[in-house]
Amino acid sequence: MITLTHFLVVSACIFCIGLYAVLAKRNTIMILVGIELMINAAILNFVAFGKYDKLNYAGQVFALFAIVLAAAAVAVGLAIILNVYRSFKTINPKNIHELKD
Amino acid sequence: MLCPLLAFLIQALLGKKSISGNIALVAILASTLISLFGVFLPIWNETTVLQKWAWFTIGQHTLHVGILVNNLTALMQLVVCIIALPVHIYSRAYMKGDSGIHRYWMYLSLFCFAMLGLTVSLNLLQLYIFWELVGFASYLLIGFWFTKETAAQANKKAFLINRIGDIGFLIGIALVYANCGTLDLSTLFGETSVLSSIDKNTSWVTFAGLAFFLGAMAKSAQFPLHIWLPDAMEGPTAVSSLIHAATMVAAGVFLLCTVFPLFNETVLLVITIIGTLTALSAALFALGQYDIKKVLAFSTISQLGFMMVGVGIGAWNAAMFHLTTHAFFKCLLFLSAGAVIHEMAHLKAKAQLAIDPQDLRHMGGLRHFMPKTFVCMVIASLSLAGFPLTSGYLSKDSIVITAYEWANHLGAAYMLIPILLIIVSLLTAFYIGRLIFKTFFGSFKYRSLTAAGISFHEAPKAMLIPMFFLAAGSLFPFFGISLTDYHSAWIMHTLETDSSYPTLAQAHLFIPALLTGGAILVWLIGWNWYVKQKYPLSENNVLVYFAHKQGYINEFNERVFVNGVIKLSRILYTFDRYVVDGLTKFFSWFVRQLSVVVYWFDKHIVDGLVNLAANATYYIGHLVRHVQNGQLQTYLGFALTIVVLGILYLIIK
Amino acid sequence: MESLLFYAFAGMAIVSALLLVNIRNTARALFLLFIVLFAMAGLYLFALADFIAITQILVYVGGVLILLIFAFMLSNKELLDDLQSTSKRFISLPNWQALVLALIFMSVMVYSYISWSEHIPQWIQQSEAKGKIILSTDNNIEVLGFKFMTQYVLPFEIISVFLMMALIGAAHLSRKEDNK
Repeated sequence: MITLTHFLVVSACIFCIGLYAVLAKRNTIMILVGIELMINAAILNFVAFGKYDKLNYAGQVFALFAIVLAAAAVAVGLAIILNVYRSFKTINPKNIHELKD
Repeated sequence: MLCPLLAFLIQALLGKKSISGNIALVAILASTLISLFGVFLPIWNETTVLQKWAWFTIGQHTLHVGILVNNLTALMQLVVCIIALPVHIYSRAYMKGDSGIHRYWMYLSLFCFAMLGLTVSLNLLQLYIFWELVGFASYLLIGFWFTKETAAQANKKAFLINRIGDIGFLIGIALVYANCGTLDLSTLFGETSVLSSIDKNTSWVTFAGLAFFLGAMAKSAQFPLHIWLPDAMEGPTAVSSLIHAATMVAAGVFLLCTVFPLFNETVLLVITIIGTLTALSAALFALGQYDIKKVLAFSTISQLGFMMVGVGIGAWNAAMFHLTTHAFFKCLLFLSAGAVIHEMAHLKAKAQLAIDPQDLRHMGGLRHFMPKTFVCMVIASLSLAGFPLTSGYLSKDSIVITAYEWANHLGAAYMLIPILLIIVSLLTAFYIGRLIFKTFFGSFKYRSLTAAGISFHEAPKAMLIPMFFLAAGSLFPFFGISLTDYHSAWIMHTLETDSSYPTLAQAHLFIPALLTGGAILVWLIGWNWYVKQKYPLSENNVLVYFAHKQGYINEFNERVFVNGVIKLSRILYTFDRYVVDGLTKFFSWFVRQLSVVVYWFDKHIVDGLVNLAANATYYIGHLVRHVQNGQLQTYLGFALTIVVLGILYLIIK
Repeated sequence: MESLLFYAFAGMAIVSALLLVNIRNTARALFLLFIVLFAMAGLYLFALADFIAITQILVYVGGVLILLIFAFMLSNKELLDDLQSTSKRFISLPNWQALVLALIFMSVMVYSYISWSEHIPQWIQQSEAKGKIILSTDNNIEVLGFKFMTQYVLPFEIISVFLMMALIGAAHLSRKEDNK
């Protein structure tokens, strides 16, 4: 029997992998990928909970919204990456330290 | 009294523009008139006038400044004014054309102011201030031709020796103040005298008396502090006549007369002995001098010795009397000598002779050229020698006779003093005769020059008039009707002191006769020696040389004091270097070591604490700085760490 | 059989994700992402969200992934250098701090899920009791269509406009600024 907890644990694993990617990767595209993983983990949680809400279908509806938002985020993120690459000639976040004190 | 000060200030302001000396002349004239008609005539024989203002207060004691005019000070003031006036007139001619003339008038006015202030000072401190001012003005005037090496040396010498006396004076003042609590002359020596209640035989009175006498010794050029006065002749002759013959050097005598009630018998005896010694030694030295002014300078010292004796034997009225008459005739002598020097200097300049215009050996036979000066000089010389009909006769004899009476009263050993004084009188007659003979008689060495068209003539009128005035003052009627009895002279009359010893009638007859006879005798010898060219001693005679060298006192001083001081200072230097410096160095070393320790403590403990705080902050900042490294991922990581920590906190709670 | 399949999908997703973050080659990483997304879609199916799974495949695999590959290709010169110089090791652990942080976070989450599953919220229990849960026999797509057009019409419209804005913005940002 597959319970809610199974889904949650899997999503937690995927989320933390995404988190690790976001924190550790030296490539902006991979960071974006990490964000996608985290969003997917969230979506998995949505649908897992949405299984118990037949009345509103809120889980699935918001999972769809999240997918759309993720797509928009990726589009905008990639545009930003392109611009960063244009101005810094690199997409390694280590080399982009304009925020440094 | 304030007129010369005003003149001094005006001239100091005008600077080089005031070359004529008119301001100084007007000022001194005004002072003379005021002191004669405004002060002297009303005050003489009347009550004492006293005017005082509070000056400053120290603790309980208030010091007053003010004016004290009694018989003594009025007389002194009048003398100063009356002598200063002709000297001013004389100076106009004498100093004409000198490049520093404006300074000359300025200094002269300053001197007159200081001298007048000295005479009328109310308290001893005020007196001391003016005393110093007088000394300072004298210093300036001696060094008037400061480009001359000897003049510069002379004024330094005068200044230094006067310092010795000033120390004495100051110690005296301090002693009086410490013991009497006041410096007010009227309180100290007035009718209700503080001193009357004091036992005069205590040691401090002796010390104070000796200290005051030390001050007077330096100022009045008493042996052995007389050495500055002959050198002071480097100043202009008019200055010499005013300051170093008539007024300033008499200030010492004046001081002694002022504080006379303070002296006990020991001090008086010391004064007498020193005075006699001075009179004798100076008269001897005068014999060997060739410089006309130096002869006169030693003569001054000798006469000051007379005055000291007068004070010492208690006849301070006689001393004042002699001071007054001496002021006149010595001033006249100097002015006449000045006239001679003036002409000699002109001759030297015109004929381009390499001679010293003050050297007696180059003079001779001048009476043909300068008859009026000659007459004046003779009158003054007679007066100095104590010849009858002159003022010097009265005053000098008064001292000698009083000394005789005093010695007669006290005993045989004291008879030495009047005998010595008589000898000095004879010597005086001799050296002044020598001066006259050498200057005015005999043949003039440069007669060929005058024949060659270089004129040698009488002094100008502006110089002669003051000389005539002073010559009149040197004659007896100016001071008293009686030819022979000095007691009837008005100065003596007013300043009467009660002598403790009986008058000896025969002395009044015997001593003047002895003196006059002796003087005539020595003049005859002098005539023979100098005019008839029968000089018995060779020029290199030991005695003459000794006298010429002023008894080697300068050399003695050089040896003893200068070398002594140098040696002493060497010893002190060594002491200083090895002991004082050693201590100092030890202390400094100690302090340095201490400071090293303190430094270490400071650096490692105190600074360490501060640095620890600073470094801790720095390292924390350094650590935290990595947070702000511009890395988005790190920011995110830190944010997440905080979130995790927050969640953990919630879970654990 | 069902749970076996679930574990297979879950394992595939997790392992692929781990490989994805630890691989050096970005191109391979992107293909591994493809696998992860497929596995996730499979997991959605197990949550009875078939429409979501299809949308996942369509939007992610067909849109996002293609977009990422394009971006990678547009900016890959440096990445290729990096790739060539450090391709010796297949797997690398570049950042232990991030790893530690992620593990702590995961442990925290797993711990809280497990402790949370002891007391399941009331609404889930009620739904289970009333049988008002989505069943595999339900027609999800029809219900979702009704819901979007009725109950969720306002968020739907907003998200549409937002999506369009994002796309226009992305297009604008990525446009070459030739006027400079």
